[in-house]
Parts: sequence; structure tokens; C-alpha cells
Amino acid sequence: MTDHHSEDIAHRVEGGDVAPGDVIHGEFTAGWRTYVLGLAIAIGLTIASFWVAQTHLIYGPAIDMALATLAVAQMGIHLIFFLHITTGPDNTNNVLALAFGILVVFLVIFGSIWIMIHMNQSMMPPTGMPAPQSGGM
Amino acid sequence: MKLLGKLDWSAIPFDQPIPLAAGALVIVVILGVVALIFAKGWAPYIWNEWICSVDHKRIGVMYCSLAMVMLVRGFIDALMMRTQQSVAFHSGGYLPPEHYDQIFSAHGTIMIFFVAMPFVIGLMNFVVPLQLGVRDVAFPTLNSVALWLTAAGVLLVNMSLVVGEFSRVGWLPYPPLSELTYSPGVGVDYYCWALEISGIGTLAGGINLVTTILKMRAPGLSYTRMPIFCWTALASNLMIIAAFPVLTATLAMLLLDRYLGFHFFTNTMGGNQMMFMNLIWIWGHPEVYILVLPAFGVYSEVVSTFSGKPLFGYRSMIVATMAICIISFLVWLHHFFTMGPGGDVNGVFGIASMIIAVPTGVKIFNWLFTMYGGTVRFRVPMLWSIAFMITFVIGGMTGVMLAIPPADFILHNNLFLVAHFHNVIIPGVLFAAFAGYVYWFPKAFGFKLDEGWGKAAFWFWVIGFYLAFMPLYVMGLEGMPRRMQSYDVPQWQPWAHVATVGALSIMCGIACMVIQLVVSIRNREQLRDDYGDPWDGRTLEWITPSPPPEFNFAVMPNVTGEEAYWGLKEAAREQQRITRPVPEYEDLEMPRNSPTGFVCAFFAVMMGFALIWHIWWLLVLGFIGAYATLVVFAWRDLHERIIPKEEVARIDLENRARRNLALQEGRV
Ligand code: HEM
Ligand SMILES: [Cu+2]
Repeated sequence: MTDHHSEDIAHRVEGGDVAPGDVIHGEFTAGWRTYVLGLAIAIGLTIASFWVAQTHLIYGPAIDMALATLAVAQMGIHLIFFLHITTGPDNTNNVLALAFGILVVFLVIFGSIWIMIHMNQSMMPPTGMPAPQSGGM
Repeated sequence: MKLLGKLDWSAIPFDQPIPLAAGALVIVVILGVVALIFAKGWAPYIWNEWICSVDHKRIGVMYCSLAMVMLVRGFIDALMMRTQQSVAFHSGGYLPPEHYDQIFSAHGTIMIFFVAMPFVIGLMNFVVPLQLGVRDVAFPTLNSVALWLTAAGVLLVNMSLVVGEFSRVGWLPYPPLSELTYSPGVGVDYYCWALEISGIGTLAGGINLVTTILKMRAPGLSYTRMPIFCWTALASNLMIIAAFPVLTATLAMLLLDRYLGFHFFTNTMGGNQMMFMNLIWIWGHPEVYILVLPAFGVYSEVVSTFSGKPLFGYRSMIVATMAICIISFLVWLHHFFTMGPGGDVNGVFGIASMIIAVPTGVKIFNWLFTMYGGTVRFRVPMLWSIAFMITFVIGGMTGVMLAIPPADFILHNNLFLVAHFHNVIIPGVLFAAFAGYVYWFPKAFGFKLDEGWGKAAFWFWVIGFYLAFMPLYVMGLEGMPRRMQSYDVPQWQPWAHVATVGALSIMCGIACMVIQLVVSIRNREQLRDDYGDPWDGRTLEWITPSPPPEFNFAVMPNVTGEEAYWGLKEAAREQQRITRPVPEYEDLEMPRNSPTGFVCAFFAVMMGFALIWHIWWLLVLGFIGAYATLVVFAWRDLHERIIPKEEVARIDLENRARRNLALQEGRV
């Protein structure tokens, strides 16, 4: 996977298609510096989320939101600095793969929430009220 | 503290003759084979050329062999269930409930995870790089790790036959039954750890094949020229990457419940069992398409080859494949309509489920139109394909019936459902595996399989299938629940007898396949495929000799259109010789074989066993071993082996000569 691999890479770069992790000269994400920078930001965000969870500076009910925002930022950092997703034309495959991944995650999370809410409605009709219509099967 | 954790002599089922005898037999057979290997001096060859091999072709062959062996195991379980249900009217039959429950759980688990999966993955491993015109997969050593981790899972599941017990809670461990409170034994742990380990292998294999397909195609082989099997492999492996982590995480949560007192799915402390059903089916439904899409790919190749025509509607086939790839993540709830999500939710998922039938229907019509107007040759792979088309449509229609929520309220959890999923998975996956096995066997080994025994196997299997599973529809409509160890309804028994006859016919089919293999090896000289294209194929794998050299292609083929190989063959036929000029050969670098995969799997088994039996020092030992393997591999100095150009030239020129001869004699 080394020598003939790098030849392959050269060949593929001509073809306009680059695998994640293939280092291309002069590209923004190349070199160890960006890894260090990425690591630093990632650690920073991690510390920030621990801080957010404990602080009283943020309005209590908003803490969840703040944590979610930090988590999304964390993912973004990983994608850019470690997985080298860029918007360059040589990155179509990666962007498409990412889009597929996001679609699936979206379906799974919101699908599950939707399903579980309805399931809970059928499970526990609130006392004193008629059971909700949609859960009445 | 006990040195061996929960393990002691009571784990060995001395009082149960069936598993004990079966286990003893298996151990004797394995020891016999090992002894034979050493006695004949084959051990170095097996170790160096197979166990340590990182060649995608050998890995593919090993995956398929593993699947075939496990098919026999899974089928023996099935036969036991069938005979039990034949005799268990008004009586306990011969299998006590706790044993019967282990059998259907093991049958389902083995058939899905260790027969269907490795068979399909094996075919993809073998075929995809050849069809793409490349020399290996993207990560050859990872490929070997993936294979051996699957084998590790197989070993753990089979170990449970003699050491302890297997899960009794079905092929998916639904809580709360699978929680520690109701399943205190090691069965569920065996199940979970076996699947956690082999699941990592599957995921690694998926990443490997996706990378290979996206990044390593022969020059000119653009996406819209890729053989349809590669497209289905791409879709299937993308789905593996998206879905298998969900399985791993869900089982991990169950394990946390069982080992560390968490409450993800328990009855108490805010646990929610329904979340388990939700999560497991987010993996489970895509899983069936992970299996069936590559199978559709096999059928596409076979139907087009044996009809002597390009595949009808190639592009619509791609669209249908990718549509299924996405829609299959939208339907998982149809596996728990009855759990009470309510009319709205059920309606949405019911309709989404029915919509999947559309791209599937497109595919069926494409195959039919490929045959239409072609000169169809009824060779064994084609027979499997035709049987598939007819049978799968029946299974698909009962599937649409089950996708109607009100109907599902009556039919779920009874034998109608069991009939339905066997009706799609056996023709949909197993028949394709058999078709692919016969179709690509000559490519792998250089000689064809015997036609007569192949046809015999085919007829026994197909007739056996109908006899074994059509009665289950009736029994289901008569209200027989699934997983019945005994019953008191007289109407069911005659149908159970018919189903047993069917299973016996399938048994004959399996026997024919074994005989076919033996006979073919004996007659291999007559069955020899001397120039590499026994079926008049259309895709790049048939340009290589059979078996292909380690490096597959001496020079990368240059692809200029759809059906890369067919165009070249037409030209060669006209001139009665190979039209490509003799290339300038170069030294080739191939990845070195490595024991990494096998050693990793060894430590994985060690860790799995330690976790199942709570032997913590063994767990630490296994972890250290696995980590050390990683370090050794990561710090290796030699990655590759050079095949000198003289060697490449010698092999390739010899193959060219053989093919030229065949062309001159008009045999191609
Ligand atoms: C080769 C012939 C086969 C026969 C005769 C057979 C027979 C059976 C029987 C009798 C059951 C139990 C039904 C019940 O619950 O009462 C069963 C369950 C099952 N079978 Fe098969 N089977 C075969 C092949 C397969 C294959 C190829 C697969 C999958 C690739 C498969 C997957 C399953 C699964 C998942 C279950 C459900 C297990 C459970 O209830 O947890 N079977 N089969
Ligand atoms: Cu499904």
C-alpha cells in the first residue's frame, strides 16, 4: 500500500479524484500542522462542553442547545482537519458519501424520535384524558 | 475470586446427548483435518498461501467456503426443527423447550450472519476487483482481518454448542427477555460478543470494498461503464457502513445492561425495550438489502451472459439499485407495526415499504427483457436465476401483504411471516449464492463444476423449497405462531409433515452439491477451462486466465465502453487472435502476505471468550495480544513483494498463447 499506492495516487489525481488522507501538495489540509491545529481546536471544544455543562453563566434550559452546538462544531472540525473534506471538485465522492451519511443519521434520529413519541402516547394515556386518537390502534 | 470466572464443568452439557455428540463429531472432524494437513506436509502451504493470504481472490474463496460449511450447520438445525414440529402434536417431541429455543436462535443467527453474509461478501471480494480491472482491493491486510474476525464470530457461536449454551431468545435478542433478569445464562452473551466481533469485520470489509470501487478502477472504467454487480456491491457496502455501526451500538447497549447494570432496555429505572426494537431494525431492514442487492447483481450478470445480450436497462438498473439503497433506510418500522406506534406512523412506513417493491419490480422486468429475444442457455446458473425470478415474486407479494398494517396485525409473529422471509431470502440470496458459485467457480479454480449434479441439486432445492415453505403460509393463516416447540391443533400437523418432506428434499439438494464438488474435482481435466472464458462472459473478469494470476492483470485493461470485455472479444473473434499488442511488461508490486488477520482474530476469540465467562485476566491478555499485533503490523518495514517483469511476462505470454489457440480453433 505504499509505493505503488503513491503511484496510484498520482494517477488518480490526474483523474481528478482523491481519497481522503491522500496528501496533495500545497493543499490547505496538507501537513502535520493542520493536524495539530485540528487537535487543539477539538480539545478546546471538548473542554468547552464540560464547562458549559457546569456553568451558571448560561440560562439553564439552553444548556442542551449549547452542548448540541458544540457537538456539531466538533464534528465539523473532525471532518475538515482529520477527514479532509473540502468543497474542491476533487472531493465529490467524499461529499456525496458525507451527504449519504448525514441523510441516514437524520432519518435515524428524527425517525426514532417520531416513532418513540407515538409509541409513548400509546403506552401511557395521560390519566383523566381520553387516549390520543393517533395512538389508538 | 474464581480463576475461570463463571466457567466450570457444569458448562459442558454431559446430560444432553445431541449437542454433545454433535460437538464431539465436529471436534473429531477438525482434529482429523488438522492431522491430515500435518501428516501430508501441507501445513506450510495452508498457512502461507491461505491463512496469511491477503489476495482478494483467496479471501473471497475462504469467505464462501466458510458460508457453505455453516450452511450445513444451519440446515441441520432447520431439519431438527422441522422433524420436531412433525412429531410434536400433543407431545413434547424429542427436543425439550430450552433446547428447541436454542436451535431456532442458532439457526436464524447462523443463517443470516454466517451463511448469507459471508457468501455474499465472499463473492464480492472475489469478483469486484476482477471486474474493475485492478490488482487487489484498497486495503488487502484489512481484508484478511475482516475475514478472520468473521471466522472468530463463527467459532464463538459454535463453541456455545459444547461450552455453555446458546441464546434462547431468537435470532434478535429482544429485551426484556434478553436482559439479565430473564436470561441469566451465557447464551445471550455468546450471541452478542460473536456478533460484535464479526460485525467489526463486516464493517471493515465494507469500508474496503467501497474504497476499492470508488478509487481503484481500471482506466476508462467510469461509473456508467461499471458492471452492474459492482454497482450493487457499492450500494450494499455503503449500506454496511451506514447500518452495521447501529447494530454494534445497539448490542453494546444491551451488553452494558447485562454487564454493568445499565438500564437502556430494562423494565425498570427508565429503560425502554421498544427503543431496542427501533434500533435493531434500523440495522435489520437495510441488512436484508445488504444481502439481496449483491444477489441481484449476480443475477444481472448471469442473465445477461446466458441470454447472450447486454443487460436490458443498464441505467435504470443503477437507478433502481441506488433508490433501494436509500429507501431501505426508510421502512424499518414495518417490523414492529404491532408495537403500537399508531395509525399515522404505521401508515407512513407501510406505504414506504410498498414503494420498495417498485425499484425491485423494475429489476425483475429488466431481467425478463434481457432474456426476451436472447438465445437463452439453460445452464445451472441460469436455472437458479429463473427459479429466483418466479419464487421471489411470490415472496415479494406476500411481503407487500405484510406491509399492510391491518393484515400484519393478524399475520405477524406467525408462520406466514416465517414463510414470507424464507420465500424472499432463500431465492433472493441463497439461490444467487449458488448461481454465483457455479458461475465463478471455474474462474477461481480453473475447472467447471459438473453440470448433471448441479442440475440435480437445483431441482431438489427448488422442489424442496416449495414443499418446505408453502405449507407454512397455510399454517400461518391457520394461526400457528412461530417458534412452537409443541402444539395441540390437529389441522397443523399434515402441513408440518409436508414441510418436513420439503426439508428432506433440500437435504438431498445439499448432498448433490457435495457430490458435485467431489465429482468435479475428480474429473477436473475434462472440465478444465483452459483459456479463461467458459461461459462466453461479457465483463472483465473473463479476460483473465482461470485461475487468474496473483496480480490479476499483467497490464491494466483500458476500458472504452460498456461491457469492457465483450468489445475486445468481438474484435479478437473476427481476427482469430488477441488484438491487443503484447504489452511492455513491468515489475509488479503486490502486498505481502501477513498473519495479522489470523492473529488478530485469535486474540479476538480470546477476548470474546473471556468476556462471556467473566475471566478477566484472559481479557487483559487478549487485549495486550491484540494491541501488540497492531503495533507489530504498524511498524513493519516490508510492505510489498516485487514480481519481476520476466515472471509477469512468462505468465502472461503463456496465457495469451492459450487464448490465441482457442481463438484459432474457434472455441471462444
Ligand atoms: C435451508 C432451508 C431452511 C429451512 C428448512 C429453514 C427452516 C426454518 C424453520 C423451521 C424455522 C423456525 C420457524 C418457527 O419459528 O417455527 C426457521 C427460522 C428462521 N430461519 Fe430458516 N430455514 C432455512 C433456511 C434459512 C436461511 C437460508 C435463512 C437466512 C439466510 C434462514 C433464516 C431464518 C431466521 C432468521 C429464522 C428465525 C429464527 C427465529 O425465530 O429467531 N433460514 N427456519
Ligand atoms: Cu424490513
